Amino acid sequence: MDLVTVTGLSKRYGGIVALSDAEFTARAGEVHALLGENGAGKSTFIQILSGAVSHDDGTILIDGKNFRPANPDDARARGIAAVFQELSLIPDLTVEENIWFRHEPMTAIRTVDRAAMRRQTLELLARYAFPPLRPDQELRRLTLAERQIVEIAKGLAKAPRILILDEATSALPAREAGWLLKLTRQLAGEGKLVIFISHRMAEVRAIADRLTIFRNGRTVAAHEANAVSDGEIVAQMIGRNLDRLYPERVPSATDRVALKVDNIASGSRLQGVSFAMREGEVLGVGGLQGHGQRELFQALFGTAKASGRIELWGKPTVIGNPRAALIGRDGIALVPEDRRGQGLLLTKSVRENLTLAVIKRFSDRGFLNSRKEAALVKEMVDFLRIKAETPDQLAGTLSGGNQQKVIFGKMLLTEARVLLLYDPTRGVDVGTKGEIFQLMRDLAAKGYAILFHSSDMPELVHVADRVLVMRNGRIAATLDGERITEENILGAAMLEVEAA
Amino acid sequence: MSATVAPRPVDSEQRPGVDWRVRLLDRAPFLVACLMLAVIVAIYGSYQTGVFTLDELNLDTAASMTLMLAATGQTIVLLRGGIDLSIGGMISLGTVIAATQFAEEPGSVAIWSVAILALGFSVGALNGLLISMLKLQPFLVTLATWSILNGVAMLILPTDGGSVPGWWVAFGYAQFLGLSSPVWMLILLFVFWTWFRATRLGITIKATGSNEKSAFLSGVSITRINVATYGLSGLFAAGAALFLTTQIGAGSPTIGKDYILPSVAAAVIGGVSLFGGRGHLAGTLIGAFILTLIGNLVFVLKVSSYWQPVVSGVILLLSVLASSVAEKAARARAQ
Repeated sequence: MDLVTVTGLSKRYGGIVALSDAEFTARAGEVHALLGENGAGKSTFIQILSGAVSHDDGTILIDGKNFRPANPDDARARGIAAVFQELSLIPDLTVEENIWFRHEPMTAIRTVDRAAMRRQTLELLARYAFPPLRPDQELRRLTLAERQIVEIAKGLAKAPRILILDEATSALPAREAGWLLKLTRQLAGEGKLVIFISHRMAEVRAIADRLTIFRNGRTVAAHEANAVSDGEIVAQMIGRNLDRLYPERVPSATDRVALKVDNIASGSRLQGVSFAMREGEVLGVGGLQGHGQRELFQALFGTAKASGRIELWGKPTVIGNPRAALIGRDGIALVPEDRRGQGLLLTKSVRENLTLAVIKRFSDRGFLNSRKEAALVKEMVDFLRIKAETPDQLAGTLSGGNQQKVIFGKMLLTEARVLLLYDPTRGVDVGTKGEIFQLMRDLAAKGYAILFHSSDMPELVHVADRVLVMRNGRIAATLDGERITEENILGAAMLEVEAA
Repeated sequence: MSATVAPRPVDSEQRPGVDWRVRLLDRAPFLVACLMLAVIVAIYGSYQTGVFTLDELNLDTAASMTLMLAATGQTIVLLRGGIDLSIGGMISLGTVIAATQFAEEPGSVAIWSVAILALGFSVGALNGLLISMLKLQPFLVTLATWSILNGVAMLILPTDGGSVPGWWVAFGYAQFLGLSSPVWMLILLFVFWTWFRATRLGITIKATGSNEKSAFLSGVSITRINVATYGLSGLFAAGAALFLTTQIGAGSPTIGKDYILPSVAAAVIGGVSLFGGRGHLAGTLIGAFILTLIGNLVFVLKVSSYWQPVVSGVILLLSVLASSVAEKAARARAQ
């Protein structure tokens, strides 16, 4: 009998459909891979299964019995433990306190039995041959990889029948990842169900018995792992209709280099990236989430510490902070990831938002020249077709698409001609998306150089002149012309080249 | 595929202990507070005779105990990552109720004391409920309840006055084995804290303050934790009010405000983080001692009493600076 049977599972967040009529069945004693692009609904699915969010519609059967968890404790009571990608650990507790949090062995006076907790911890770590951990170390002092290992220990401490691993290998170095894969097989051998989410095809191939593919919140296929090829899997993950969203791509790149990046590195996520972007070029940055794209943009704009060399229009540049990056025609401007948090002041007007970064341009001896300001603001509102009743309307009251246009306007007013666009169409309606792509091509034709990251692969395929595919903080492939396809991007992003 | 990870014997692997320098740096704010207390006591002792006696300890602890009780509640709230301004209102209201309701006989005092403590817990629990259910800022919610409690205190007793039984006041100075009742209370607070921080509730409050989302994902009911946290804070504020009546022998509808910010300051001086998750009551109690002794110091140095807030502020800044420098150093070393 199937251990887990899910039918018709649906979940909406406001107007956004995260899961729609998803299906899933899995047996005890198997490793079941869950595959899909970013935003396909995998995370929502496992959050529902682990009790972190509740579903709108559909049924989940565990052992044939209905299951509708109200909170993570309910899921735990039915033997489900999740190792989250967004870690569920507490920074100010120690390793062992985290592993047993809320399930600590207690003494007669209702306090935590520290000796018993230490004993249990060492037993658990030894039983599954965990990499070395110090049980009394505070969690906030650990590396990301060590935290991931603690999270795994926390999941196993609950002795689950169903263990969900959400990209648990992505934060681990090769040796520890190998350990986890072996452990996963061992758990399946003990009769547990392991639901395994990974973007690394090689891993899925190595350990999965069966796999289920999600796309756009729906289940598109379920396979025995040995009955399906890599190509078929990728095709099923992508397969979607294209619409008339994208402008014609007229190459406008010249030979002049606008931005030259030499071996830029930052933290553990960005491991040394070099490329040159030319005047008039739209250069795409692709790859799976969390492979250094965010860090690359932050390093280039100067909001993260980084090493390496950057040249703008042939001149070496030290970009230490956003103020330095912004200045003048030879500068860099950014459309940030988090529109509401970083890009816009929601309680300020459209006018104030547009001119905030360039207030000097309207100043006469320290006073604001409001006529000059009004003229430029009007020009920008018209140019971008920002739908605001007046320039004094509060930015927070605009639609998502119009908010994004205000950010574009703010960026264009800096006159910088190297633009960094980090997922500029995220949460933007389809109509505005089209306008934004058209705007990008228009700007490129005028000689702007645009570095463009999108979490939505078709956008890269249809808008960019070249695409850098990032994996593990490096550039795994550079695609141009005919070679820019979703298959090639996903292939370069996912297929690990096994070291010989 | 038959690969398995081989279990290994429990003690087979050498696990290096945590770097002692990191441990030291982690405790730096607390250690700096101890150092500051030592310096202040040393200066005090060199200007005044009889500082290093039990009598002095008894007196200073009595002078600090109201603040210590209020700051104990505040410490719990700060560990949760919140703040409780309403303790000011609760302390005023508590003294006012006691001063108007306590009759001479012990039975009346006992009943009303329990009533005041219950009121403190309830008001705090209500704070916690409002913060959770309406998703409001603790600062604003407790500011509002402070104002309400303050107003009620004024309605009951518009000016300082009323009285409490003489034996109740005497209790505040009673001695047992050479130690006054406030010193015994201080010892009790230590015992309470040693126990409380090891309980599941204590750990969960700290964990929720450290990272609310992670705590939720681990199954913590945030509402329940808020109710418990602010309830305890209200309970300790009520306790502070009761103790205060033994010191002033009357009620005051305005006295509570003198404890709001000092309770936060005492905790911060003692190394409790305003962002939640980090700190110990021991630090807070030392912070409260420091703030009280600055008053004594200003007195024996015969300078204007307005130096007291100036020096308190400087000490607060030094503590914050010490925490920040130590955290940076610890982070650098732990990498």
